[in-house]
Amino acid sequence: MMLAYIIRRLLQSVIVIIGVTLLSFLTLHLAGDPTYLYVSERASEEEIIQTRQRLGFDRPLPVQYFSYIGGVLTGNFGNSLRARQPAMELVLERLPATLELTLFAMAISTLIAIPVGILAAINRGTPFDGGIMLFAMFGQSIPSFWLGIMLILFVGLGLRALPISGHVPFLEPLFSGNFQLAASNAPETLRYLLMPAITVGVFSLSRNARLVRSAMLEVLSQEYVTTARSKGLGEQIVIVRHALRNALIPIVTMIGLEFGFLLSGVVVAETVFSWPGVGRLVFNAITQRDIPLVQAAVILFSFLFVGLNLLIDIIYVQLDPRIRLQ
Amino acid sequence: MFARVRWILLVTLLVLLTATLGVSAQTTPDADTLVIGQSVDVASLEPSLVGSRAESNIFGHLYGTLYDISSDGTLVPFLANSYSISEDGTEWTFTLNEGLTCHDGEALTAEDVVYTFQRAANPENAFTGNTVGFVFPSVGYVDARAESDLEVTIITDRAQSEPLRLGLLSEVYLHCKDYYESLTLEQAAESPVGSGPYRFVEWVRDDYVLIEKVDPEAAGFSRIVWRVIPEASTRVAELIAGNVDIVANVPPDQVAAVDASGIATVQAVQGTRRMYVGFQFSEAFADSPGWEAIQNTDVRVALQYAIDVPTICSTLLGTECTRASSMVNPPNDNPNLVPYPYDPALAEQLLDEAGYPRGDNGVRFEMVLMGPRGRYLNDANVVQAIGQYLTDIGVQTTVEILDWSSDYLPRVREKNVGPMFFLGTGGSTWSALYDMADLSAPDAGTNYTNWQNAEWFELWDATSGTTPEEERELINQMLEVFYNDPPWLLLYFQPDFYGVSNRIEWQARRDEQVIVTEASLLP
Repeated sequence: MMLAYIIRRLLQSVIVIIGVTLLSFLTLHLAGDPTYLYVSERASEEEIIQTRQRLGFDRPLPVQYFSYIGGVLTGNFGNSLRARQPAMELVLERLPATLELTLFAMAISTLIAIPVGILAAINRGTPFDGGIMLFAMFGQSIPSFWLGIMLILFVGLGLRALPISGHVPFLEPLFSGNFQLAASNAPETLRYLLMPAITVGVFSLSRNARLVRSAMLEVLSQEYVTTARSKGLGEQIVIVRHALRNALIPIVTMIGLEFGFLLSGVVVAETVFSWPGVGRLVFNAITQRDIPLVQAAVILFSFLFVGLNLLIDIIYVQLDPRIRLQ
Repeated sequence: MFARVRWILLVTLLVLLTATLGVSAQTTPDADTLVIGQSVDVASLEPSLVGSRAESNIFGHLYGTLYDISSDGTLVPFLANSYSISEDGTEWTFTLNEGLTCHDGEALTAEDVVYTFQRAANPENAFTGNTVGFVFPSVGYVDARAESDLEVTIITDRAQSEPLRLGLLSEVYLHCKDYYESLTLEQAAESPVGSGPYRFVEWVRDDYVLIEKVDPEAAGFSRIVWRVIPEASTRVAELIAGNVDIVANVPPDQVAAVDASGIATVQAVQGTRRMYVGFQFSEAFADSPGWEAIQNTDVRVALQYAIDVPTICSTLLGTECTRASSMVNPPNDNPNLVPYPYDPALAEQLLDEAGYPRGDNGVRFEMVLMGPRGRYLNDANVVQAIGQYLTDIGVQTTVEILDWSSDYLPRVREKNVGPMFFLGTGGSTWSALYDMADLSAPDAGTNYTNWQNAEWFELWDATSGTTPEEERELINQMLEVFYNDPPWLLLYFQPDFYGVSNRIEWQARRDEQVIVTEASLLP
């Protein structure tokens, strides 16, 4: 049953990914002829025409698109127009840095939001609850760009407590099997990660804290919680076993969506903190209309997003036996 | 329960704090290392793909060229020590220095120079960089041949101004044949072996490029790190923290903060990029408001008096500037031409005389002024200011700000922008004709205004094969023609702001190049 469900979802995801590539392809081409970005300021009309032919932009759009999709199906994602290197290789090269940032930001936003949200819920109406909600409101209102700059000014430049910008790799040596380097880099990686991860994660942290609080408040008012208490169960068991587990379903849903949100949000943090990740790569590729590079990143991100949401669906079943995969 | 959750929170905070405290955040460079912050990374390490200033800054240290362009615009010998020109001016023979080698130890001879030129021109390689996309068409490159081990001839299809051609050929990065022949294009783009004063060590994409000095006895720092720091505020913070020695493009509003830091100071230089407002002559714009008016030379001259360029510089660009009197960078411009002063009353008088008096509503004619956002220093605000100055003298101006890469650049290249448009084009310190080549022919790709002044183009054609004195005379005549029948509303040469650490001795150049071979640590 579950296997059939997973296969069906994977087939659906192929359609989703093709749709996403088509949309991004059309958007990039509708923005004008990219050829001008690949010729010098003083290029003649003849050189511009030659370059357009060389880059393949002289062909009709459907031909360009189907030729690209044909390549993708055979594992050829094309070469970056600017770097002249395989596009997917370039994206995968940057992926570990982005995963470090995204996962750490998710960890911050989730691991802090859940206990803080629970505390706010069980202390409802107290100054503690008010303080948490005020912080959450600020966290959701502050533009991440501004927050990043402020962290640089006050923590990086003022206190000299953390590095202002840059990156020390952890996942990249880990993925390539160099565990010793990964372990020795870990403390430095953490120091370089903190400010960008806070910049990326503060919005999610605030939203998740509010979500956990409201989900807990709803569950705590349910009759089965009252029943559990009247049975004489300790408050800790009531909160963790009976309330939190049921409150987790909307939270898990949000975390699944969060990943995509954070992936899109890292562009700002990667730019502000000079973090060499996929977000910056894609941003530059879009401004330079490096279409194969943008497409490779879109396909990879779509896979990650679809895969994570499938994983979330499977986790639902474990959290709530009433949910069935169909 | 509550106590336990609070305890977990406390431990989490402590872990994070422990990770930060007690460990210095300083990454201050050592005495042998110079760190430079640039906004963009190199796209590739292939010398024939170099297309941006950020790339040529690094390649200028890794690769030698035939001649070199010094900071004052003088062309000086580099890997070649002399040259001779054939009678018809089409063949230039350079004599290389003896004992040259590439960084892998291979001797660099005339054969390698030939290989460099032929490899760049080979259509199978499909290079799109500065060499094949700009230098070769500009000099009319045909081929190259080795005359001997040390003599190489570059063959072109035309005679050309001597400094112009020499400067252009000095932009070709020379590399050794054996090494590059042994690699695929993809491999070559990852591991360059050059012929310049520094050799390549490491490139971490979007992070940094590390190069080291080839000759330990030579002047300059042993290692140079080119860090990619896209955000200007972050570059400035790194500079003030002492982690970076040189940063380009300091925002004007942060100049005071840098100067007050005691760690670094800002060097403001008048760059070579010519900023102007183009008047569109293409009849495709005949129906656009204001197009007919600007076909009148007297109107275009009148509009020159309407713009207070020094005020734009001091208020929007953060520095004082002198208004340009021509399209040519000083000191190669015509010294007899005086920049148009700001005199709105005279502008109004000239417009009245040209047949465009104010109407009952105070408007003489309407105009559309286009400009980009994010391409040039404070560009959108400058365009808004110009629009207001024009409106003040009765030219009711509508300002349209467009995205650079998706909208404005294609329009400019297709000459589909206007009737008035804001633009900046790169110039040089070493040749007036280089600056004037924007208008090398009525149908030149860079004649964005479609200006068709016959006298100008006749004079341009006459510059081929002239003596330097004759050439100078022709240039002065052409600039007078340009001044009196202006296709551009002349503005300024874009200022560049470099933040420089107080620990080093280095002087910024006007041509946007960051060359640090002469940089040194202050005692």
